[in-house]
Amino acid sequence: MWDDEMQERVNQRITYLSRLFLVILLVLTLRFWYLSILRGDWYKQKSEQNRVRVLSLAPIRGSIYDRDNQVLAEDIPHFRLIFEKGVAETEEIEERVERILGRELSPPFPERGVGEIILADQLSLEEVIKIEEVQNKLPGVMVESYPVRHYPGGEPFAHVVGYVGKINAEELKLLHSEGYEMEDRIGKTGVELEYESFLRGEKGYRRIEVNALGKVVRVLDYRHPCFKNSIVLTLDQELQKYSYELLGNRNGAIIVGDPYTGELFALVSKPSFNPQLLSRGMSTEEWNALSQNQNRPLTNRPLQALYPPGSLFKLVIATGAVEEGLTDRNRKIFCPGFLDYNEWRYPCWRRGGHGSVGIEKAIAQSCNVTFYTLGLELGADRIVNWARKLGVGQPSGIDLPGEKTAFLPTQEWKERQLKEMWYPGDTINLSIGQGYLLVTPLEMYRVVSNIATRGEVYKPHVVKEILNSKGEVIKKINPVLQNKIELKDETWDTLVRGMEEVVNSGTGWACRGLPVKLAAKTGTAQNPQGEDHSWFAGFFPSSHPQVSFLVLIEHGGDGSGEAAQVAKKLVEWWEKERKVKSEK
Amino acid sequence: MKSKAIVLILIALSLTGILAVYSVDPSRGEGWGESLFSRQIIWNFAGWLVFLVFSQIDYHQWIKRGWLWYFLMVLSLGAVLILGEGDETGSHRWLFSQSVQPSEGAKIALALFLAHYFSGQRENFDFWPLLIKSGILSFIPFMLILKEPDLGSSLVLLVTWLGVLFVCGFSAKKWAVIGGIGGGLLPLSWFFLEDYQKDRLLSFINPEKDPLGSGYHILQSQIAIGAGGFTGQGWLSGTQSQLYFLPARHTDFIFASWCEQLGFLGGMLIIGLLGALSYLFLVVAARSPDLEGKILASILGISLLFQWTVNIGVNLGIMPVTGIALPFVSYGGSSLIVNLASAGIVYNISKSEGWENWKL
Repeated sequence: MWDDEMQERVNQRITYLSRLFLVILLVLTLRFWYLSILRGDWYKQKSEQNRVRVLSLAPIRGSIYDRDNQVLAEDIPHFRLIFEKGVAETEEIEERVERILGRELSPPFPERGVGEIILADQLSLEEVIKIEEVQNKLPGVMVESYPVRHYPGGEPFAHVVGYVGKINAEELKLLHSEGYEMEDRIGKTGVELEYESFLRGEKGYRRIEVNALGKVVRVLDYRHPCFKNSIVLTLDQELQKYSYELLGNRNGAIIVGDPYTGELFALVSKPSFNPQLLSRGMSTEEWNALSQNQNRPLTNRPLQALYPPGSLFKLVIATGAVEEGLTDRNRKIFCPGFLDYNEWRYPCWRRGGHGSVGIEKAIAQSCNVTFYTLGLELGADRIVNWARKLGVGQPSGIDLPGEKTAFLPTQEWKERQLKEMWYPGDTINLSIGQGYLLVTPLEMYRVVSNIATRGEVYKPHVVKEILNSKGEVIKKINPVLQNKIELKDETWDTLVRGMEEVVNSGTGWACRGLPVKLAAKTGTAQNPQGEDHSWFAGFFPSSHPQVSFLVLIEHGGDGSGEAAQVAKKLVEWWEKERKVKSEK
Repeated sequence: MKSKAIVLILIALSLTGILAVYSVDPSRGEGWGESLFSRQIIWNFAGWLVFLVFSQIDYHQWIKRGWLWYFLMVLSLGAVLILGEGDETGSHRWLFSQSVQPSEGAKIALALFLAHYFSGQRENFDFWPLLIKSGILSFIPFMLILKEPDLGSSLVLLVTWLGVLFVCGFSAKKWAVIGGIGGGLLPLSWFFLEDYQKDRLLSFINPEKDPLGSGYHILQSQIAIGAGGFTGQGWLSGTQSQLYFLPARHTDFIFASWCEQLGFLGGMLIIGLLGALSYLFLVVAARSPDLEGKILASILGISLLFQWTVNIGVNLGIMPVTGIALPFVSYGGSSLIVNLASAGIVYNISKSEGWENWKL
């Protein structure tokens, strides 16, 4: 009886137990269902990530050529030795490789991705051959090539061609959606930056299956990296180099191009830098030394540096004055060597004065008094308008990054910024390209080019054509007529004749005796940094212009001096080396 | 009927275990004697021999000698601590050049002892002295195993003792007291855990914290199970287990390996077989004509239930890693033989069962 009651109680407990058991079973089944059915796809993906490693292989960048297909930038394969860890003993392989190459390797070896190490870098071709001959004795070892950027053109081309570097955090954030990854190379300046999307090339990859020990089980998939497009520049390699040399150890800029197409044959900025070193990657100290150098070697002077234009700006005043009927071939202005205005006396550069001069002679002699007078008659607002009309103060749209535009001072600006009224003296200074006015060399080059074409404004460019991987032209950069400046024939004639006289009888005497008729203008720009900047810009032949040019030498003294002498050598070189070619 | 069902389920489980070990055997295809798979087959033979013997011996014979088993158990566990041989995990669980694992035998020995101890003093059920004395006696082997350290097996002993208290009708009030003391001691026990056991607990709470370290097991096992989906990736496929991302894939995580290959369906097969076996143990207990059989069958059932649900719970990531193998399926001789021995005893009880008082 007592025992029955006891058994009853035990059975009761066993019943409870079986209910508990059902609850546990339910919980396990639900969890199991959740993992394998509801989240199955997510875990499948996780499991894929576990076993598959994708190694990107750096894309091969397109090359950059000058207009005659001389190489200015190209990728050259370098070779390194990769070892898939776990395929064999690392020490054993290391020993064998050392014996084959006959040199010591230097562990610890850098890891690349999971399961791979770089045994040796910078292999010579002989070493690559040695390794490949005995490949079967080196399980898990492979020679991998990777591209390194070379710039055979060197410093003269550094600003135009640019350089590449490792993508930085900011760029990566911006370009992540376009497939850029850490460690990728990207154009940093110049054409390398501007045409990045063409030059970039396509990545390759190797998808490998690895096990939990990081051992490579097999290669699932492989795609070679390749390059897509290369780029042909309008630059003339020899002219660019020659121009660079002509500047000697002076800082400055030279621009040479075709006024009727916008093609630039030379675009020189000095001092320059070695693009090779920058592409390879610099230490912080090296970089700081370069970027904080007082001579600013990284600045692409033709489009990124601002200077007072000096007398070169008189072309703008002359254009405005003639076009608006303030002067013509008959009007003479007397130059006693100075202009008195209110209590102030403004000197002409020639102490004794030019006497009575017409507009063409005033251009030729660069007579300050004439331009003071015409400038005052025009007034600051109209001067600025004429500058704009001729292409100063507007971005040219050149296919290079970082272009700057002129600073054109106005009455409103001065009152707002400097809290001072605009004095007639400010207009007088503006008339000879001094005072607050600052321009880029490219803008002044555009002014003379636009005179050469009698008002046809072409967009300047440095890229001529884009090629595909087979070397076929897929895109030709045609001249872009941006604007047509409509002026009276009289105005154009006056300007051209004046500029011809600059060389014949005026300040451009240094360029006399050339086999071709030149139209040009000198400029001497006073500046707070030291000696005057020397400008010389023009075009030739003056009757049917084919080439326009600009030379700027920082602190080169007056424009009739150094800049004009450099220009003379450029024209001589052109006539000797290129005339026949261009006439064809 | 139930006796036959037990045998059929056991055969199915044995085969499942052999197949599961085969599917993850890294030395598959090598010499017969070398592979894990061949050893598992040999142990199955041994285990079935043990089953045959135990199923033929009247279970009263075992229970009668409860104290003998108890002393043998404490003796061998003591020997392990003194003479024990380490394995690759650094714990000392083995005797006789890694051939015998006394902590496995302890699971059955304690059950026999407690069945003897409790059935001999049924008038003291639900009294404090029995609870305390049995508690102390169980605590000794519990601590000896915990020192090896083998947290999993010691927990099985603890659950066996709690099971016998439950089955023998100890009142809710006493459970509250045990629970209170246990709950109070739990934070203290933290200081007795080995570092790796602490890591396991912490990484169970937050496996993402250190996915390559101690959280690795839990994550990889869930990935394997999840990646298996409904029908699995196919026999002998599945990268988690075949490429070794899943650790202990032939022992504690064999369930995950199995599910990666055969999916939810394959996994439910194992859960179904083990669930049915545990259920049959409880049915046998309920129908046993005497108290000895009831107690023994039910605590063996509780022990089995505890082991496989905890193992699968770990595999599914809802319990911390404790190091409990999946009964009948995981690779390993001692555990397989002991489990078949328990099943043999329950089979013997089932043969003598009555039909009265059955309701569930």
